[in-house]
Amino acid sequence: MQVDLDNSSIVSGEASVSSSGNQSTQPPKPSAKKKRNLPGMPDPDAEVIALSPKTLLATNRFVCEICNKGFQRDQNLQLHRRGHNLPWKLRQRSSKEVKKRVYVCPEPSCVHHNPSRALGDLTGIKKHFCRKHGEKKWKCDKCSKKYAVQSDWKAHSKICGTREYKCDCGTLFSRRDSFITHRAFCDALAEESARAQTQTPALVNPNSEPDPNTQPVDSSPPAPAPPPAPSPPPAPSPSPSPPAPPRTTRLISPVLSNKSPELPEKPPRIVEAPVTTGLIGNCSSTTSSSSNGNTSCSVFASLFASSTASASLQNPQPPVFTDLIRAMARPDPPTDMTRPSSTETISLCLATNHGSSLFGTAGQERRQYAPPSQPAMSATALLQKAAQMGAAATNASLLRGFGIVSSSSSSGQQDGLHWSQRQVETEKSSSVPAGLGLGHCDGSSGLKELMMGTPSMFGPKQTTLDFLGLGMAAGGGSPSSGLSALITSIGGGLDVATATAAAAASYGGAEFSSKDIGRRSS
Amino acid sequence: MKAELKGNTSVSLQSPTLFDTRQSPLSGALNGCLGSLDGACLEKLLIHCASALETNDVTLAQQVMWVLNNVASSVGDPNQRLTSWFLRALISRASRVYPTTMNFDGSSTIPKRLMSVTELAGYVDLIPWHRFGFCASNSAILKAIQGFPRVHILDFSITHCMQWPTLIDALAKRPEGPPSLRITVPSSRPPVPPLLNISTEEVGLRLGNFAKYRDVPFEFHVFDNSPSTALGEIMCKESPSFHFESILSHLNNPSMLNLREDEALVINCQHWLRYLSDELKGSPHGASLRDTFINIVKGLNPQIIVVVDEDSDLSASSLTSRITTCFNYLWIPYDALETFLPKDSSQRIEYESDVGHKIENIISFEGFQRIERLESGIKLSQRWKNAGYLNIPFCEETVKEVRALLDEHASGWGMKKEEDMLVLTWKGHNSVFATVWVPNGLED
Repeated sequence: MQVDLDNSSIVSGEASVSSSGNQSTQPPKPSAKKKRNLPGMPDPDAEVIALSPKTLLATNRFVCEICNKGFQRDQNLQLHRRGHNLPWKLRQRSSKEVKKRVYVCPEPSCVHHNPSRALGDLTGIKKHFCRKHGEKKWKCDKCSKKYAVQSDWKAHSKICGTREYKCDCGTLFSRRDSFITHRAFCDALAEESARAQTQTPALVNPNSEPDPNTQPVDSSPPAPAPPPAPSPPPAPSPSPSPPAPPRTTRLISPVLSNKSPELPEKPPRIVEAPVTTGLIGNCSSTTSSSSNGNTSCSVFASLFASSTASASLQNPQPPVFTDLIRAMARPDPPTDMTRPSSTETISLCLATNHGSSLFGTAGQERRQYAPPSQPAMSATALLQKAAQMGAAATNASLLRGFGIVSSSSSSGQQDGLHWSQRQVETEKSSSVPAGLGLGHCDGSSGLKELMMGTPSMFGPKQTTLDFLGLGMAAGGGSPSSGLSALITSIGGGLDVATATAAAAASYGGAEFSSKDIGRRSS
Repeated sequence: MKAELKGNTSVSLQSPTLFDTRQSPLSGALNGCLGSLDGACLEKLLIHCASALETNDVTLAQQVMWVLNNVASSVGDPNQRLTSWFLRALISRASRVYPTTMNFDGSSTIPKRLMSVTELAGYVDLIPWHRFGFCASNSAILKAIQGFPRVHILDFSITHCMQWPTLIDALAKRPEGPPSLRITVPSSRPPVPPLLNISTEEVGLRLGNFAKYRDVPFEFHVFDNSPSTALGEIMCKESPSFHFESILSHLNNPSMLNLREDEALVINCQHWLRYLSDELKGSPHGASLRDTFINIVKGLNPQIIVVVDEDSDLSASSLTSRITTCFNYLWIPYDALETFLPKDSSQRIEYESDVGHKIENIISFEGFQRIERLESGIKLSQRWKNAGYLNIPFCEETVKEVRALLDEHASGWGMKKEEDMLVLTWKGHNSVFATVWVPNGLED
């Protein structure tokens, strides 16, 4: 029996209507297996509707899906819908009259632009568009959260800072369950009950082992004053007359650092571990006993470090692949990049306008806030560049270094690369058979060998190699044919991305009528 | 939107001189990606990369990887971030294509990150991915143990008892007074994030501390399922499922669990069952570990069993099908985190990295090393039904509680009922399901 929650007050935003299942359109059959689509794979029969930004931002936010009449308030819409003979019935019957509709976001870079991520109801897509792509004009005074929709802002302002739970350690919570969970494990409680039992000031447990990781170990200052929270749990410091089995409340040494009071609304933040790599955090220090050492961890970490990109959209500076290569070879991320500046000719490497690429760039600093970037390069441009990898692409690649033999007919091999390959293989055989796993915390992984091998091949004719170990002859070799065909079929180097970005910008600034709807449909 | 896999796709000939007789599969991949590379294109590219790896087509693989690399970014928009983790997994897989001679412990390439217990408390509340299950389960448990003076919870989860403070709190407020509560956990858990920097015993101590503070009689037990012999150690390395087999043998031998007559037994499986292998081959009795567990548990006479897990079928043997499904499922946490955390938020990056860990396991590993064997709610429910359990629907009160919880999160989170499951949705897409079971014949 299907309960369609959509008709009841939609409490949590984009609620029950799922674009991923069509079971809501079929009456439940006991014997037949319900066809269930994978998440993200909407009903293939659904009609995909793409509305314009103007429509989505229109004030009459509540639109009847059947006749497209708009209403300012959800209640009015519901009343109206009844006139269409109970919409939920229509949804259950896979009828010819009303086809299942899913809606996509007009913003091309948006995840919901893709039909496989369409949203199942009109209200949902409108809300989404408004909130995500609309201008956030409304700002909360207390916590500076911004909202695109006035009613959201109003609703937030009502609760912002009202319900607050405060732990003895000073952290604030707006949600009770978060508060309770935190409190249960917080040091403040442990110390307090120890105090209650032993009547002595907080002791550090001599048994506790020194913490291997470098999470900052501040003792949480046990707040002596009882929490003034409006609805606190029962008074914190009664010493309960020791009931039944005497429990040794062993004090656990405070290896945690409790956060100083947070803004309300925000969940307590995880300790800001020095994030040297955007991805991984304390690679070198948080190794658990399962990993065998720092070397490969940081090697791999630097491989995937997201670093401060010097490249921005306006000012592309080609990060050097060799840096990456060198980073792979050494445990510590290199800080000096002395590799030839002739990197300009490398259109292959990460030197796209994008900048915030997966692999490390010069100066493995942690990336600060990245400008909201759409995949800045168009498929066309990327393909052009990939094509320039040319025939060399078949040789001495990352993968080849691992012994994966190419089955594709390679059109010509460059000597240098050949040598590289040979060298790699030699080195590999002489090294401890460490295997190929990148996850292997041991310095002689195949990847490392390859990477150590390649820089030495930089000859005058080769400017540099990209991470895949491809050489690019200056000036570009003969483009790989398949890619060229694609490029020409697409029709040239129009940078569609730019055009799209321009269009998108105009959406963002679209007129959003502030004359908003009375009732917030949440 | 099925991605075209291998095989030739026709490309319009506009420049015959450049066109080779051998058509590039890459052109097929990018057919239609005229402008920026959106999610659909990224998915296609990932699939092409994977199939290139499977067919040893080095050229294509690296071309695609190069393209992907230029789009991917762990600090970009959700699509870019998601892609960066997928790309990483594929590269990791590439490096594993040939088996190694040295003992390969199967650990991931992503360094493990340990959290403090209060950090973990915040972590599980970042998005309702876990808290949804906690809330629905605790509410159902509370109802099921009404009238019992003692409760024993067998806790199988990966979140280190984060679920229990709210239950203890609710028990403390029971009008007839709290029952005695006993929680038993296995000593080892699946080697997946979130990871804690303290031992299970210490967690238990803190929990006990809290229970005492709330005047709830409490006991905490860890049953040791780690290998006690040298042989056991070796077996663990060979087969991570050994830990599970040990759990099963404990369950088969209830005296080891110290079950009591007057106790309501609760079996709690939170994001855990998916780590029990569903493979049939190699198992002694011809049943998978998963099915074995489901069957064994009945013999314990539980009052209630709660099962919460991720609602997606991700244990197919076909890599490309896993990529597609995984890409179209795990976009959810990335998308959700985007709504309220800035791009450089370390909390966000760390959470995403943990999801990346899952992606890596699903994409980059095979065989027993691929421990993430997600199964959709419908399918998993079928297993329970086949084993002779009855699905108990959630009562209205529970539904209300969950709704109230979701209200406090970003507005994209929702909930729906599917058959007798409660499903957490993000923008309408299924993410996590919760179910409640009782052995057939025991229902009230």
